[in-house]
Amino acid sequence: MSTFIKDFIERETISRRNFILTSAVGMGAMLIPGLDGSARAALKDPAIAWSYRDRASAYWNSIVSGGEAFVESIGKQKGELVSLINEGSSEKSLADIKAFIAKNNGNCAIAADCNDSPNARPVVEAVKTAGAYVSTIWNKTDDLHPWDFGDNYVSHMTWSDVEPAAQTAKILFEAMGGEGGVVHLGGIAANNPAIERLAGLKKAAEDYPKIEILDAQPADWDTQKGAALMSSFLTRYGDKIKGVHCANDNIAYGVIEALRAEGIEDMPIVAYDGNPDAVKLVMEGKLLATVFTNPHWGGGISAALAYYAATGAFKPSEEPNEHREFYGPTILISQKDAADFKAKYMDETPKYDWKDFWSPTRGQIKYSG
Amino acid sequence: MASVSRENLIKWAPLLVLVALVILFTAINPTFFSVRNFSRIAVSSAPALMVAIGVTFIIVMGSIDLSMEGTVTLTAVLFAYLFVALGGTLAGLGSLAIPITLVIGAVIGAINGLVHVKLRIPSFMASLAMGFIGTGAGILLTGGDIVKVSDPVFRGLLTLRFLGFPMMVYVAVLGLLVAWFIQRYTILGRNFYAVGGGEDLAHASGVNVARVRILGFGLAGAFYALAAILVVGRIGQAESISGANFMFVSITSVVVGGVALWGGIGGVWNALIGVLIVGVINNGMVVIGLPDFMQQGVLGALVILSVVLSTDRFSTAFVK
Repeated sequence: MSTFIKDFIERETISRRNFILTSAVGMGAMLIPGLDGSARAALKDPAIAWSYRDRASAYWNSIVSGGEAFVESIGKQKGELVSLINEGSSEKSLADIKAFIAKNNGNCAIAADCNDSPNARPVVEAVKTAGAYVSTIWNKTDDLHPWDFGDNYVSHMTWSDVEPAAQTAKILFEAMGGEGGVVHLGGIAANNPAIERLAGLKKAAEDYPKIEILDAQPADWDTQKGAALMSSFLTRYGDKIKGVHCANDNIAYGVIEALRAEGIEDMPIVAYDGNPDAVKLVMEGKLLATVFTNPHWGGGISAALAYYAATGAFKPSEEPNEHREFYGPTILISQKDAADFKAKYMDETPKYDWKDFWSPTRGQIKYSG
Repeated sequence: MASVSRENLIKWAPLLVLVALVILFTAINPTFFSVRNFSRIAVSSAPALMVAIGVTFIIVMGSIDLSMEGTVTLTAVLFAYLFVALGGTLAGLGSLAIPITLVIGAVIGAINGLVHVKLRIPSFMASLAMGFIGTGAGILLTGGDIVKVSDPVFRGLLTLRFLGFPMMVYVAVLGLLVAWFIQRYTILGRNFYAVGGGEDLAHASGVNVARVRILGFGLAGAFYALAAILVVGRIGQAESISGANFMFVSITSVVVGGVALWGGIGGVWNALIGVLIVGVINNGMVVIGLPDFMQQGVLGALVILSVVLSTDRFSTAFVK
């Protein structure tokens, strides 16, 4: 046997022995409560952070404004809410959260969208190990549940888009007189909301036999792609298109412009997200409907849940499951209620009771399959 | 009539690829071949063409410019704010926003060139960094909001038609002619080829290479700003992602059109053909009803095919 192979085997044997020894120590440590910090009692004045994608969209800005409204409600300055911006990178999301935990020695409450589903588990585990508290929105895998982590994984909120998208589709079909061709311009094909919003359209179409879904293609949530795709649809289907179902407001802005270029001003269009510009378009009659998910409230309440769980104001593990995993609010905005909506949500930001965690929520998350 | 030599074939290959694509898509769906559809392709290609022309000058010099997304974003946002602040109509002071924006674009480009030349940072890295700065500034200015420009006179770029094509298409054609003039009839234009063909040789012949490079980047910046104005004209809004996707579209178009990445070969007409090829592929795939999950893959394959057909790879010793 050559020395190289001999050395190699020797080294591997040692490292395996080290591995087993380390594992044994680790498991022993897990049995002793308190050693890893996870059983620490309520925190005093924890630092608060929001981890999210970027500042380049109205949606995340709303989330942050809600988080800031919450920290002000507990007598802190806006700036005391720390923004951890992941720029669409799961690695950065996890690294930032770990750094924040380390800086505050575990004395912190974090609200997060973990960027993609698999990243939620390492984030939650890092938080749990340090004895900090986290509540998440949007992204987590179906097998990851807050109740499996005691109190530290406080809650998860997501939004089911199938029903609201079906409702906007119904409004669209009614405006079309119940017949004719519809095209759908979707989000990034693999994104869950994109899949659900298309599913909503298909579900609603089942009740309208004379409605034909001509085509559904991704426009990547983007205004310019929406405009280009709508132009191409016009070439392919021409006058057969009697209505347009958009996966979000930004796409709808592009669709409206593509139609304007052709001199088409009265096409029935529905959108999603309830952004201020879209609400104005609903009031002007350019859009039939959009759906508001109240990101301001979502941003505030996620931070509030993590914070109040951290301070011991409530004990998550004593709450029922529907208070740990739940759907966020959705509000349909159509032409008849757009003015009311604008007065209530846009002209002034409503004051929320950040201790009323669950009354606007819509029941426990259901998993399919 | 020119003989059918290998050289001639390669020169005209991009145009032949374009014609072949048009015939292919028309054969599958005849509605593809209509003035209305061509005007749709032209509208979606017009801003991309301006960006592609800008980057063509840089690539001809043998450099690369990746700052277009940031520059387009920043100039689009600045244009929208300026336009609104100056009265919000093209019929009034708002029209001043157009030349100011073009100058801002040129200044951003020149800074880009200065960073590249004076700090001796490779153009690839310098321009990429400048692009990030531009996007960041765009986000800072808008705070993630959308800036609407709804002046009906300005939106005439999209809604007003002449011979079936919206005005923005004619603006783009004008931009193309100006670029062609610069390339063909100015000293600067010919110096781009001198620098791209052999920088040492150009330097030895008395060309101020540093100056040519900085001016080149400035010129590219002005064309990015024109692209930004057309983007705002097309969708009626500016935002922090107004420049997204232009990097891929423009560089792909320029290469597909037959401009060599190693410099000295090609020009603005190649950029035009390249942009049209990419525009026709994007439109055609939807028009013939290609499933969406195949479109990205087919686009990639067609790009490779076009480059294979349209660049003279045998005349270069190596490809980097």
